[in-house]
Amino acid sequence: MSTKKITLLSSDNELFTVDEEAANQSLTIKHLIEDTEPENGVPLPQVHSKILAKVTEYLIKHANEPDNDAAAKEELKNWDDKFLEKVNHETLFDLILAANYLDIKGLLDLTCQTVADLMNGMSVVEVRKLFNIVNDFTPEDEAEVRKRRKRGTKTIGPSNDQANQSNH
Amino acid sequence: MEWDSDAEVVSGGEEEEGFLLSSDGGAFSFSIGSLLQSSACGLVVTDALEPDHPIIYVNTGFELVTGYRAEEVLGRNCRFLQCRGPFAKRRHPLVESSIISEIRRCLEAGLEFQGDLLNFKKDGSPLMNRLRLTPIYGDDDIITHVIGIQLFTEVNLDLGPLPGSSLKESGRSYDRFHSSLSTYRPVPAGHGSGCFDLCGIFQLSDEVLSLKILSQLTPRDIASIGLVCKRLYHLTKNEDLWRMVCQNAWGSETTHVLETVPGAKRLGWGRLARELTTLESAAWSKLTVGGAVEPSRCNFSACAVGNRVVLFGGEGVNMQPMNDTFVLDLNADNPEWRHVKVNSPPPGRWGHTLSCVNGSCLVVFGGCGRQGLLNDVFVLDLDAQDPAWREISGFDPPLPRSWHSSCTLDGTKLLVSGGCADSGVLLSDTFLLDLSTMEKPVWREIPVAWTPPSRLGHTLSVYGGRKILMFGGLAKSGPLRLRSSDVFTMDLSEDEPCWRSVTGSGMPGAGNPGGISPPPRLDHVAVSLPGGRIVIFGGSVAGLHSASQLYLLDPTDDKPTWRILNVPGRPPRFAWGHSTCVVGGTRAIVLGGQTGEEWMLSELHELSLASSVV
Repeated sequence: MSTKKITLLSSDNELFTVDEEAANQSLTIKHLIEDTEPENGVPLPQVHSKILAKVTEYLIKHANEPDNDAAAKEELKNWDDKFLEKVNHETLFDLILAANYLDIKGLLDLTCQTVADLMNGMSVVEVRKLFNIVNDFTPEDEAEVRKRRKRGTKTIGPSNDQANQSNH
Repeated sequence: MEWDSDAEVVSGGEEEEGFLLSSDGGAFSFSIGSLLQSSACGLVVTDALEPDHPIIYVNTGFELVTGYRAEEVLGRNCRFLQCRGPFAKRRHPLVESSIISEIRRCLEAGLEFQGDLLNFKKDGSPLMNRLRLTPIYGDDDIITHVIGIQLFTEVNLDLGPLPGSSLKESGRSYDRFHSSLSTYRPVPAGHGSGCFDLCGIFQLSDEVLSLKILSQLTPRDIASIGLVCKRLYHLTKNEDLWRMVCQNAWGSETTHVLETVPGAKRLGWGRLARELTTLESAAWSKLTVGGAVEPSRCNFSACAVGNRVVLFGGEGVNMQPMNDTFVLDLNADNPEWRHVKVNSPPPGRWGHTLSCVNGSCLVVFGGCGRQGLLNDVFVLDLDAQDPAWREISGFDPPLPRSWHSSCTLDGTKLLVSGGCADSGVLLSDTFLLDLSTMEKPVWREIPVAWTPPSRLGHTLSVYGGRKILMFGGLAKSGPLRLRSSDVFTMDLSEDEPCWRSVTGSGMPGAGNPGGISPPPRLDHVAVSLPGGRIVIFGGSVAGLHSASQLYLLDPTDDKPTWRILNVPGRPPRFAWGHSTCVVGGTRAIVLGGQTGEEWMLSELHELSLASSVV
């Protein structure tokens, strides 16, 4: 049985062809196909070919998600880990934007979890460094915020590592 | 409504742009004038020369009816009205595709469109929009603008709750501090300004950041993230986010229990998370309740069902085994002990355990009755119309015992460990009884290669979902029986669970890597905090140590370390003998009076872990 092919058109006019079943994981693409029945590919003006290549790679791999096969699930999980292993922050955020825009729940969850894992257990200064975030609090704001956040932590005694870390 | 497809519109006649907004709007002013006044009627003007037909004007009627402010929608295509709420990313399935196609066809052909289209307010409630779209031609017969006149009517559709609806709004109202940072405005997605240009993370929308990323972090991380910059500060002020964070960190069961506390909701999840993390508001207080538990007794068992304390059995005068049931409802304005008349009570007993499963069911196991030790199981649904104790003939039960310990796993399974069997033999086994179906439950012994020394009067606590922690008790040590301060854990989610020694009293004279360990004890109290930490106090303590000192342990640490927790208020002098339970996740109620011999059940002590909101 031959499956229907869907062509996706990136913002820089590159074409990607995937099975309809794979493409339908993106609800945005699914609705675009239903609504417009595009002849020359589904235009995705918000997604660059560099990102769309990654997205289609994900869609193809996840087209047939195993239901009860534990081994296959494990294999897919390992693949997911590898999929984002060498991705830099910029690409990761672009992937989140694309997954959100294209409404691909699995990919959005996966990429967001990756970012959350990066932030896990980090101090304020480390988070700023990690994502290149500028501290835009005024000194007064910051003092007020800190005062509110730190109130009462002394009851536990020696520890409260996070609060101490965030102090330098 | 969708005013166009992705069709390209040939551009031209630039000077015409925005003519409707200026005083020379002449040709249309006759109809617009009345529209501007009418509140149920929206007027929208789009720029047909720009790609994707951005909105350049909306009237007050539009703002009033839809709930979207002009500055939120200017520059966007009007199709967001087909999405349910500001965070929905695509058209709601109930919006008819055929109408959309018709709108597109009309716009491409330059014709007027008229039809009924399902729209949504910003709060997610549905609206029927009788829409009329009129293309406006410029000098060169090119459509320069499209005017949409929207006659909105309420429509009754049951669409269910709107996920993540109150995100931005709730964060505002709830925080008084907000005013001092009021110069800040959340930056819309994709419009990074100033410093944000550098940071990839700020290309993401508030919705994705909050619901998808921050919600995965721990409460402590969220508190820290809020100090990074203003945008993250505002995101971390949000109640919905905090609720999700608490739920992810503590499990939905814990958050559900917390919700049964009347004041918890008003306290706010953010504050609750902070207070339960720092324990900054923990305090002892005295609680006087009405009613009486009569006849007087000791060695009873108590357990919490939501915000109610239930007491069963005990040892009366002349070692009389009791079998009556009392309830203290702390949700009541004037809480009082109430004797619950139940049908077919179990045989009287003491030294048994009382646990809560399946939300409102109480389970009695074992203890010492008139004929000696017991291993029977009785269940009572407190919320049933006519509460009645019912014996559950669990297949293959453990040995009869008393002074064992029990806890509830997954909300449905009773876990029993150790205790004292016939002729005073101490036990070290662990049994599980799955009560998710009350029909023919089967006892199952958890097979382990090694068990901690057998003991009685210890505590079992559940943390991190399916892990259990055993602390203290009177343990066998060679030919002796000694009070213990050992901690053992077991992860029941593993295929082959095994006991692990975490910290102990160690050898005499040796330094204890586990920090200031609580003095060895039995018949003490262990309170599980959300997030896995355990608070120990009370019991029969060796030496001259105070039994009311609180000790805190986080078994999820790499190297769990005991800490002393000092809280204000007046603690009870004694607390032992199955006398404490935690109600509503934040209040440890200590049943017992001033001496170890006489139980004064009208004067209770309470260790509140979070501030109470009255």
